[in-house]
Amino acid sequence: MATPLDSADTVGSPRAGAPPQTDVAPASPGAPTGPGGGGGGDRPAGDRPTDDHPAARPRAAWAGRTAVLWTGTAVAVLVTAWCVTAGTSNAGFLDVWRSIRLAVLGGTLPADFAQTYSIITNLRLPRVLLAFAAGAALSLAGVVMQGLLRNPLVSPFTLGVSPAAAFGAALAILLTGGSAGSGSWLVIGSALGAALAVSAVVLGLASAKAMSAATLLLLGIALTQLFEAMTAALQFVADENTLQAIVRWTFGSVNDANWNDVMVVGACAVLALPLLLWFARDLNAIAFAGDDAAKSLGVNVTTVRVGLIIVSVVLAAVVVSFCGVIGFVGLVGPHIARLAIGADHRYLLPFSFLTGGLLLVVADTIGRTILAPSVIPVGIVVAFIGAPIFINLILTRRAAQ
Amino acid sequence: MSLDIASVRFAYRRNTVLQGVDLSVAEGGFCALLGPNGSGKSTLTKIIARVLKPADGTVAFAGQDLLAAPRRDHARVVAYVPQSGAAPFEQTVREAVLLGRTPHIGLRPTRHDREVVDDAVDRLGLTDLRDRPLSQLSGGQAQRVLIARALAQQPRVLLLDEPTSALDLRYQIETLQIVRSVTREEGVTALIAIHDLNHAAHFCDQIVLLDGGRIVADGPPAEAYDPAVLSRVYGLDVLVNHGENGVEVRPSALEPAPGVIGAPAAAGARTAVAAR
Repeated sequence: MATPLDSADTVGSPRAGAPPQTDVAPASPGAPTGPGGGGGGDRPAGDRPTDDHPAARPRAAWAGRTAVLWTGTAVAVLVTAWCVTAGTSNAGFLDVWRSIRLAVLGGTLPADFAQTYSIITNLRLPRVLLAFAAGAALSLAGVVMQGLLRNPLVSPFTLGVSPAAAFGAALAILLTGGSAGSGSWLVIGSALGAALAVSAVVLGLASAKAMSAATLLLLGIALTQLFEAMTAALQFVADENTLQAIVRWTFGSVNDANWNDVMVVGACAVLALPLLLWFARDLNAIAFAGDDAAKSLGVNVTTVRVGLIIVSVVLAAVVVSFCGVIGFVGLVGPHIARLAIGADHRYLLPFSFLTGGLLLVVADTIGRTILAPSVIPVGIVVAFIGAPIFINLILTRRAAQ
Repeated sequence: MSLDIASVRFAYRRNTVLQGVDLSVAEGGFCALLGPNGSGKSTLTKIIARVLKPADGTVAFAGQDLLAAPRRDHARVVAYVPQSGAAPFEQTVREAVLLGRTPHIGLRPTRHDREVVDDAVDRLGLTDLRDRPLSQLSGGQAQRVLIARALAQQPRVLLLDEPTSALDLRYQIETLQIVRSVTREEGVTALIAIHDLNHAAHFCDQIVLLDGGRIVADGPPAEAYDPAVLSRVYGLDVLVNHGENGVEVRPSALEPAPGVIGAPAAAGARTAVAAR
């Protein structure tokens, strides 16, 4: 035992050049030891894994992201406020601020301000806030799905959530003969139920069969096709009015936003953020190190994965059931955030919340101003904006590899 | 104090991989797990790392049952270096090493965590690369990042799953030197699944030879390398030379031809293979 051990020390010690820290291994008689001795001595010093590097270690890289996060928050608030002012009737930042103050703190409403106040609090604010909340929720769901499945091209709809919700809504609209509008509780409930049911089936199958992430994605693609075909079949048998209602719903819009919608979608997004941040550490381990290494790093991979997928499915399903099918935000929002702040989920999650929200608010503002007074549904506008961004991302990714 | 593995069994569905493995590694020891492909050495490291769950058996370190402990507690004792694979998202060297602090940190890393990370980065000679994205590193550098991550975990037991298979000779030697110095200087117990018998003999204190999910040899390199056993396990005639620099294993096919008559025949055989 002694011979290989000691000869290994001579070659093996990366600290051969640092005499005070020589190895604790016993020097047996005749073992050729000493600085520079053995086969390791002729390697360039810079390549050695020594610990005597200069003490100066700039730690700037650790900071900085917090600043980006706060800047992003400030920009988000300003842009959102500007989007409230944008539109056919004149309203400025001050009017927005005044309206919010009046609505929150109360006070007397001057007669000359009543119309502006009404437009801002009843139309613009709920619309803009619903757009922000929906975008933020979808983007959060996207970050989580991409991290958990370790695939940057995944979105909350990958598991078939969106087509299932669309089918649920279409079914409810058809069964009520088109009388149930896109905002009715029946449609919302039906969409939510279908989305949750299909995710439960997918997740149940995935855990029962111990599926890999790739299989899960393929299953999602198959279900997407199935539900799209079923929705198309419903449209085929529907009459003119019903068909129109179904089609309008599948565009995805925040046109009929009211405070009730804002409360529900907003609450989901705002509650999900701290919940997900709590698991950011585990999400980092799974996304970067993979399942095996994450387990060895002390993460309960299966529990975390199922739990967080449920959270992201609920987020996506709630948004889809209130606003219809809005694609691309869940895909592009996280990517923009990743470019700006890096892939560490401790920062990526809140920043994706901001980018997703902003993307949808800006898209909706463009949609209702560009051809005013007619309003283009946000689902269409965001696809126009999102598709080029996404194609660009794919192409630059290819180039980088 | 030692790492004790007792009657560990494992099967992938009906395919038995480990059939009752008993093994003890002294604290601060450097143990090599050897064996042909499919002999179960990778599976054994994964069981100790709790990536896989054994059907039966126990793993304990210093008397503490490692398989029953909560995952986080286990991860503070045992660190695992997998074979390096590509990550889907971009990350800097320092961020990657910070993952090793996962079992120690709460919501976010503290100053202490960052110091541990920087120390591990320095120790593996990655100081100049610490803000480089992983995708720009060479294979050897990426492997060192994984080892730095494991060291940042501040474990008592370090497991390595064929860390040198994808590396060139220089990085193979460097990796083994680093692991060895960690065992010597910090008393960390290391277990490495490895293919190269001579590297194992040179760097490790203990050799464990697995064949078909059973241990067929266990001991210091000079004792564990038996030509008959090795020849049977690998299905290839080998010679074991006990020289002054330790034991050396050579396939007998690579020995110089014994006589003049044998040489043309061997050359002829090679030509025939090449012509096909």
